[in-house]
Amino acid sequence: MNFLKLVWQNKAGFVGFCGLVFYLLIITVGQWVVDFDDDVKLDQINSPPGSRLILLTRPEDKERYVSLADLEGHSVGVLEKTGGPAFVNNYANADAIKVETYKWRSSRGVPDALEGLAKGEVDALVMFSKLAQRFVLDSENRYFQKDYAHLTISNSKLGPMLLLGADTQGRDMFTHVMNGGRILIITAVTAGLISTLIAFVLGTIAALVGGMLDRALVALANFIIVIPRFPLLVVLAALVTLNNWVLLATLIGLLAWPALMRAVRAQVLSLKERDYVEAAVALDLSQAHIIFREILPNMMSFVAINFVVAITSAMYDQIGLIFLGMAPINDYTWGVMLYFGRSRGTLFNADSAAMLLAPVIAIAFFQVSLVLFSRSLEELFDPRLRSA
Amino acid sequence: MQALPAKSQTQPFSFLEKIWRNYTLRTVIQSIFTVWAVITFIFFLVRLMPGNPIEIYVNYLINSENLTYEQAYNRAASQFQFDPSASWLEQYFGYIGQLLRGNLGESITSTGTKVIDQIMRFLPWTVFCVGLALLLSFVLGMLFGMIAAYYRNSWIDNLISIIAAILGAVPDYIWGLMIIIICGVQLKWFNVGDLRGTFDPSLQPGFTFAFIFSVIQHALLPILTYVMGTVGFWILAMRGSTTSTLGEDYVNIARARGLSQGRIITAYVGRNASLPLFTLLAINIGFVIGGSIIVEELFVYKGLGSFLFWSITQRDYTTMQGILLMITIAVVFSNMLADLLYSRLDPRVRISGDS
Repeated sequence: MNFLKLVWQNKAGFVGFCGLVFYLLIITVGQWVVDFDDDVKLDQINSPPGSRLILLTRPEDKERYVSLADLEGHSVGVLEKTGGPAFVNNYANADAIKVETYKWRSSRGVPDALEGLAKGEVDALVMFSKLAQRFVLDSENRYFQKDYAHLTISNSKLGPMLLLGADTQGRDMFTHVMNGGRILIITAVTAGLISTLIAFVLGTIAALVGGMLDRALVALANFIIVIPRFPLLVVLAALVTLNNWVLLATLIGLLAWPALMRAVRAQVLSLKERDYVEAAVALDLSQAHIIFREILPNMMSFVAINFVVAITSAMYDQIGLIFLGMAPINDYTWGVMLYFGRSRGTLFNADSAAMLLAPVIAIAFFQVSLVLFSRSLEELFDPRLRSA
Repeated sequence: MQALPAKSQTQPFSFLEKIWRNYTLRTVIQSIFTVWAVITFIFFLVRLMPGNPIEIYVNYLINSENLTYEQAYNRAASQFQFDPSASWLEQYFGYIGQLLRGNLGESITSTGTKVIDQIMRFLPWTVFCVGLALLLSFVLGMLFGMIAAYYRNSWIDNLISIIAAILGAVPDYIWGLMIIIICGVQLKWFNVGDLRGTFDPSLQPGFTFAFIFSVIQHALLPILTYVMGTVGFWILAMRGSTTSTLGEDYVNIARARGLSQGRIITAYVGRNASLPLFTLLAINIGFVIGGSIIVEELFVYKGLGSFLFWSITQRDYTTMQGILLMITIAVVFSNMLADLLYSRLDPRVRISGDS
């Protein structure tokens, strides 16, 4: 409770904290609430946000057939390889409805289904709004307009709405955004843990042991720090086949520790000179006691803040690698969404902006939450900043 | 009094000691040592790692061109420029000898093209873009950081700090994506396709107005992206540095002496507060160059970053090795320059090295 109260004092930090809680909920509970949509649906390709399945009828039946319940005992048409068949089959009383399946795009495809409806083969047609737009409502489309303009939409809200539209395979983007953060965040946190742990252990050893070992470790850190990390990562990713996230996290973690290690070393060196540590040495307390009871507790805030920073930089490296196609893309993450968005050209398609903006915003907001939270952590641990 | 005997003890190596005490020389020697270490590291990375590029390339040649192992190995040797009969130690010295003569080997995919020529073709664009962006974001960061520090804990400071934190938190390539999607594709402020490449290919390179305008036009989006990605860092660093400088005694004394506000800001606070930022500049150069791989890929800007990525996708290992080496050497030497510049600006650094 005290913790929450302190976080509340820094408004920006509180926003960051809430953001992180939100992301935690998404990566833990999100996968049970929203299933990953993996079905290719030919009529939904690149469909804009907010589109959904609708019900199409002849004008005289407009009032009669509004929902699937109205169609019990009657016949309804669906298109194969689309979201329609599954939607009708999942209806509680599906046996009562006679389902007619029309072929998708072989010979006449969609016009066949529309003709079936117009001629009375079926009483209603379950269709995707984007398709209806193109074949029935679009007055510019002079080939189909004259034949099917009289067909009316009796229920424009039949299926659930695709909040963010669909991707290049007609899959619901919203489910991808909800499921795409888990592996990414787990990898970033693991990489952050690895680099923080290495930095902490090596920094403490260097400062406490001193001498040759200290100099060697500092030289190693200085050496790794000058090699630009991202190009090296890209080259290493080309030499080592990165086929799982553990390897990726380890690689990122192994290259990210030097800056923090130097800071930890400096911190321990300064803590060593403090009066209370010298008092503990004078009292002849054990080495373990001095490290774990005197020095470590005073460094926790420092380490915690840098751990958060390490997660943000691991996120940068990881998504950068995925975006270039150099890291595993078998898990469908936000990074992979960006990768496909660029490689399949949807980046330049004005209608499918949501497809790329959704992962972009998800990533950006996660990073911002982390940084804002780390700033409030600083205030949390340092009472001098808090009063200001 | 006590220093004298200590001096006489180190007589045999006193000239080394003297070199070590000279800050400039020491920095230069350290940089050269680092470059050597990087060369060694990359040499062993390419040759001795399991599944190393040479092995992969030899196997590729055997499979694709039906060569025997001997033939393939000799071909690889000529392109990577090593003597296949020599031991790895001899190869290593041979490699360093070639490098000292500025020879980075030949490209694997386009035979006969020297890697160094290729790099020299692409490097200027990246230096231009990244350099200008760093300069811009450094100046902007100093300006806004000082404003935030002067009005600290007011709404101006809060606003600047929050914006800086948000700018710094989001990766630069994400800003680039947002610029393309929102400004380019949705609002249609510019045509993304027209801004690809480093300049309009229909123009003849030269000192004409149209050409220079086209170069700036094409560099604008990458520069904007780099600036957005780094300016937050500079604002926060400058804010922190200025805040601590404002509390110093000499600033209070300058105020008490009745110096003009402008003089205090520039000569007393500004100069001293910006000092620590120069050391950060060096670290930032490496970071921005690293990010340039993605940003240049994103905007299809033909610089060194996108060339490195191209060589990786083409499995052109000699080029890849050359670019990685070049980037690292550039970062090491800009580190060195920043250190030397810093020692000029702040003499304390040079003198403290003596003790």
